[in-house]
Amino acid sequence: MKILVVDDSRVMRQIVIRTLRQSGYAGHDVVEAENGLRAVEMVATEKPDLVLSDWNMPEMNGIDALAHLRASGSEVPFGFVTSEGSEEMRARAAAAGALFLIAKPFTPELFDEALSAVLPRA
Amino acid sequence: MTAPASADAQQGAVLSPDDVRTLTEEVWSTFLGHTAPFTAAEARAFTPTWAASVTVKGEWNGMVSMQLTGVGAHRLTCGMLGMDPESDEPSEADVVDAVGELVNMVGGNVKSLVPGPSQLSLPLVATGQFAHGSDQQEIVRLDFAWGDEPVSLTVHSGSPAVSKVNR
Repeated sequence: MKILVVDDSRVMRQIVIRTLRQSGYAGHDVVEAENGLRAVEMVATEKPDLVLSDWNMPEMNGIDALAHLRASGSEVPFGFVTSEGSEEMRARAAAAGALFLIAKPFTPELFDEALSAVLPRA
Repeated sequence: MTAPASADAQQGAVLSPDDVRTLTEEVWSTFLGHTAPFTAAEARAFTPTWAASVTVKGEWNGMVSMQLTGVGAHRLTCGMLGMDPESDEPSEADVVDAVGELVNMVGGNVKSLVPGPSQLSLPLVATGQFAHGSDQQEIVRLDFAWGDEPVSLTVHSGSPAVSKVNR
């Protein structure tokens, strides 16, 4: 299966990919996007099985990207990985159709807890 | 009738230095715990080589800034990217990225502690240090020792002058 990791920070994309490995999801293909706009394009071209996205990014932020995807009919499973984990942000994420919000800093255990309902371990 | 607390007092009262210390240590231990010990330390004068900040704008206005040495920024970048600080040489773009992401995580967590709704900016990273205008008041200053390297973290409340013009 394929996971699209979206973050404007290359360093954070690497950390997310490393954490995916550490939490038992090393066998899935990973593709990367550096902002929400690119993520929307790549959902169409790459057809990922899960999007893991930062919230606060240039060009298009994560919540707007999710809104674009849902408005265009895409039901791709979508979760946030963001430094903002307040109840307000979690509620906004859920209302927009996100499955979960993982707050930074995160652990492999937290990743597994969020991803196990969406993806098989591989 | 009780007089309302001043805006300055409200801005300063919402954040405890202990909360900011705890969340900073949590960010550090999660992503850099495998490197050197990161502990609260006495304030130590140093000239920062790198500084990064994020601003929070909305119900609460303020800025979270981190200052560190060139060696500290190099080690931070290597630590986050899984590189060897003794032999690997991260690019300047990676240093900017890593230092910015660190302050973004601390700032995002600070935003969760203060009254909302508010918006978190993208991180701004610079060589040197940020200057703060008279409209910004330092409400938290934390000094850490990361191995031999000093790291300082400050939280200022109040709007930067530029955003006041835009109101």
